[in-house]
Amino acid sequence: MTDSHCPYCALQCAMTLTRAEGSLPPLLVAGREFPTNRGGLCRKGGASAELLRAPDRLTAPLVRDRGGELREVTWESALDLLADRLRAVAAEHGPDAVAVFGGGGLTNEKAYQLGKFTRVALRSKNIDYNGRFCMASAAAAANRSLGLDRGLPFPVADLDTAGAVLLLGSNVVETMPPFVPHLSGARDAGGLVVVDPRRSATADLTEDGHGIHLQPVPGTDLVVLQALLHVLVAEELVDEPYVSERTTGWQDVVRSVAAWWPERAEQVCGVPADELRRTARLLAGASPAHGGAGAYVLTGRGVEQSSQGTATVTAAINLALTLGLVGRAGSGYGALTGQGNGQGGREHGQKADQLPGYRMITDPAAREHVAGVWGVDPEDLPGPGLPAIALLQSLGTPGGPRALLVHGANPVVSAPRADAVVDRLRALDLLVVCDIFPSETVALADIVLPVTQWAEEEGTMTNLEGRIIRRRKAINPPEGVVSELWVWSQLAQRLAAPGSWSTDPAEVFDELARASAGGRADYSGLSHARLDREADLHWPCPATDAGEAPHPGTPRVLLDGFPTPDGRARFIAVDHVGPAEELRPDAPLFLITGRVLEHYQSGVQTRRVPALLAAQPTPFVEVHPLLAHRLDVEEGEELELVTARGCVIAPARVTDRVRADTVFMPFHHPGAGSVNRVTNDAVDPISSMPEFKVCAVEVRPVRAADTIAPEVLA
Amino acid sequence: MSHVVVIGHGMVGSRFVEDLTTADAAGKHLVTVLGEEAGETYNRVLLSDVVAGSRGWSSIAMPSPVHPRVSVQRGTTVRTIDRERQDVVLSDDSRIPYDHLVLATGAAARVPAMPGLDEPELPHGVHVLRSIDDAREIIAATLNARRAIVLGGGVLGLEAASGLARRDLAVTVVHPAPALMDRQLDEAASRVVESTLRRTGVDQRVGVAAEEVVVEDGRLRRVRLDNGEVLAADLLVLTTGTLPRVDLAEGCGLAVERGIVVDEDLTTADPRIHAIGDCAQPPCGASGLVGQGWEQAHRLAGLLTSGAPAPATTGVGDVVRPKTTGVDLVTMGICGSGRTDDPALRVVRLSDPSAGRHLEIVVRDGRLVGATAVGAGRIGTDLVTSYTRQTPLPADPAHLLLPAISPATSGTQRDSPSLIPDRATICRCNGVTKGEIRTEFASGATTVEQIVEATRATTGCGGCTDALCGILDWLHAGDAPSPTAPAAREDGFTQAKHEQDQAETRAS
Repeated sequence: MTDSHCPYCALQCAMTLTRAEGSLPPLLVAGREFPTNRGGLCRKGGASAELLRAPDRLTAPLVRDRGGELREVTWESALDLLADRLRAVAAEHGPDAVAVFGGGGLTNEKAYQLGKFTRVALRSKNIDYNGRFCMASAAAAANRSLGLDRGLPFPVADLDTAGAVLLLGSNVVETMPPFVPHLSGARDAGGLVVVDPRRSATADLTEDGHGIHLQPVPGTDLVVLQALLHVLVAEELVDEPYVSERTTGWQDVVRSVAAWWPERAEQVCGVPADELRRTARLLAGASPAHGGAGAYVLTGRGVEQSSQGTATVTAAINLALTLGLVGRAGSGYGALTGQGNGQGGREHGQKADQLPGYRMITDPAAREHVAGVWGVDPEDLPGPGLPAIALLQSLGTPGGPRALLVHGANPVVSAPRADAVVDRLRALDLLVVCDIFPSETVALADIVLPVTQWAEEEGTMTNLEGRIIRRRKAINPPEGVVSELWVWSQLAQRLAAPGSWSTDPAEVFDELARASAGGRADYSGLSHARLDREADLHWPCPATDAGEAPHPGTPRVLLDGFPTPDGRARFIAVDHVGPAEELRPDAPLFLITGRVLEHYQSGVQTRRVPALLAAQPTPFVEVHPLLAHRLDVEEGEELELVTARGCVIAPARVTDRVRADTVFMPFHHPGAGSVNRVTNDAVDPISSMPEFKVCAVEVRPVRAADTIAPEVLA
Repeated sequence: MSHVVVIGHGMVGSRFVEDLTTADAAGKHLVTVLGEEAGETYNRVLLSDVVAGSRGWSSIAMPSPVHPRVSVQRGTTVRTIDRERQDVVLSDDSRIPYDHLVLATGAAARVPAMPGLDEPELPHGVHVLRSIDDAREIIAATLNARRAIVLGGGVLGLEAASGLARRDLAVTVVHPAPALMDRQLDEAASRVVESTLRRTGVDQRVGVAAEEVVVEDGRLRRVRLDNGEVLAADLLVLTTGTLPRVDLAEGCGLAVERGIVVDEDLTTADPRIHAIGDCAQPPCGASGLVGQGWEQAHRLAGLLTSGAPAPATTGVGDVVRPKTTGVDLVTMGICGSGRTDDPALRVVRLSDPSAGRHLEIVVRDGRLVGATAVGAGRIGTDLVTSYTRQTPLPADPAHLLLPAISPATSGTQRDSPSLIPDRATICRCNGVTKGEIRTEFASGATTVEQIVEATRATTGCGGCTDALCGILDWLHAGDAPSPTAPAAREDGFTQAKHEQDQAETRAS
């Protein structure tokens, strides 16, 4: 029996893996008692052992031959070839011509080592990762307003006693079901507020007096927040002592919401003025200033994946500060991290502008410290590289990267405007993908390297509450499969990189801990051995002097002040600009995207689990009955969705869960129904996070007589 | 560097300055704002809320441009505009040169001509509602007043009346036109609004004009109406429209009709002088709504920075949404007196006066071009979205008048277990159907614990626990036939739920 955690989302549900010799799948998975999931698992986690017996597991390095076919080769020859080609690209075009695209599912050890490998072995500035698609706006806003980005600055279990929880753009019933019981306190108090343009399964939790569902026009969440803050000011529900003692910038924010009285906000966001007032009063009633049981404001991708995502999260933080919630036990603001290691993945140097410990690569002191740990001259470290969308757009262009290494990501399905990404990937001289399965991105690769997955490796993950947990090996990987740590060590040797390149996750973690010492995300008091003994360790957890007791970790940050120069949280005035794409006569509807319970991210894993695939085999388009009636379309009929970027096809699901002016598609599928082929790659000006969640679309039925352009079906 | 002088620091003037500094990234313009009022800019639209006591004074402050290239001079009165020398002349004869001059002087309250209101000073007890001082005076007056009359049943009049009623005054609205808010409402819609207003304590005289304000000892006593009625009152609020403030434009020879005449680009005949907001008269006419002024501010800021007016934003246009307590009302586009008999217009109406509801939509070429919604709640809100964003309409526009009702989407949580089909998913998290639960039950899993063990149902989000318990109760009832299904225990728990709680207690 091995205690470990789920391979999927950031809740990182605890599970026990038991060897089942001779049977398939070779492990039994059971939920394990833990503060986050309390023994619960969702269907994905329950079936995760199926990932170990998927028939198309990659088990040998592949190299594309002259005929264009991927052929199995030995590790030795694959690594020799790869090193040669990396050297050649760098020699001809400079080191920045080799770029790296990482993933929020990689362990802390891998995320750390990948950043180091890029800066020290490749000596390239160009590394970014798919976390740019999910956490960048929340991170930018929290850093700017609070001085610190730790998804939840408090343990998940703190939510249990809240009188109100405002959930902005998050469908936890489908994305992290075992999280849902933590909302029961707020539900019992009638205080769950769900803001979602779609009546999601999570919105259903507000029914029968358990709370309020606000259903704004897509892309207008910021207006909802401005109006809520306006009401708090107008009705004098502000936590005045908190605002004056713990914050700055209040007057600017008061002025910035002056124009958003509920009746005006209603006209832009489509939420009735009375509902806005009722919601503001509900939140205030639960806030500590009014003797309430505590209130939380939580954001998710629905509001963050927007060209004004940073502003929207900032408005959410402004609201929480106005109510005196942040940095107070029993109340707070947080972002619900998405990917399994979306938190740790953004702390250890996978981001274009960051070094381990959540340090900025432009900070001379940070460069010196990290260079010291790596055994290199700070002068030799590159500067900030391009953020994900700009990086993908520059691939194979004049002056852009000529080679790309992809680790734990599938941008062909997960990046916005994915057809353009495919064009860029095809324009590369060299595409290398490390993965466990032949993903849609693997299909384009020149070199494919098979690597270990969750139950086959040791390491750590940092979950949505900043808790560092141990991922443990329960089973040997198939013959021919290696850890990325080994791949990078081999390549580092071949590229004659300085420093040491351990393949032992515990050793890499120790190095990560040293590199993070003194940074915002300080892991220096942690080790695999300590994490094996203690399950309650949240960062920061700095090292202590010999003889002193170890630091206990920090389950609740911000209680004693904010890590800003003056120790106060900053109110920052923002305003609504609107989505990058307005509706127009040839695209008169909103297209929004999201997840279904059975699938995860681009579906590379979950589409290989038979029960999950059987439950949700294809993409679909949710259309309102009135829209279906106007289009003369019935349940199951194929619809064509056309945006400024192209077209996708999927069957209709007729449901009043969507607004009549909006259609919804899940984003887990490749091919003709792969919605990210048509989503917008416009980005937030501060976080560079793309606007997945709203664009303008025309929807029409595909009749039998119609011909579909072959490239759509490709 | 050019010098932009803005006369007027109200809602539109200050918004223009904000938009201009945002648009002017290159720093082409220096801005001087001349404001008449000494205090901070405030949100005039919300004055009626303050009168109603539903918000505090502090919340009506507006963004004050703080920018290195902007200088704001408050308490400054402009005497004339010297177009020849491109100077603004202040009351102290000092001069401010301009390259571009923006008139945002707004409008003043119109005082109707009638006996009793013919002195330059209004009598005691009579107020207009235009400025923050007016609002303060009205609130002070409510302390001793018992009976109020609001003259003019437009948007502001109804908001003021509703606000005074909230302060427990007996309020009567006197409105000479045959419908309240007659720019927006026809008589049928007005009747519904009238009865709703009456229920909130606001009486009305519609289609009745005031003839005389009776003043004794310098103080308001009564108002005499043209139907012969005389209403006693100790507070009279005049909400009888506004007059654009055009003196400066007139004084320097610019064309003035009702307002300062400007072209599409908000420019007067003098290419260096522009007018926006309530003082301006654009070719499409002035709506008197702040949304139009803000839109003009945005476009003019674009014109002065890039040479082309900024494209129209997704504005709220001519949506009218009074903030009247207890009266849910919104109109937009073609409505009220603006509706014609144009055969290209399709008008669909739902009139339900005894329920306080009246809806009308106007459709042209498959698009919503106007609507009136009284007492319609969320439907009114959705009509605004449909109108402002011009989203496609349902095949039959009449569907817009009622909430769409479709068959219950899941039903599994609420339906009686016998009605749930076997293929229905009970536990979404683990994909467990009712059929699977039945199968497990048949093979011996008869307690919640055993079903959970066999299927993982309830172990995800836990939301299906009640449904599972209900199905088990139903299966037990069928399994061991008894006259009645297991009755709910006194504490509201069913037997199966009770068993599960016991199991949980044991486990913990």
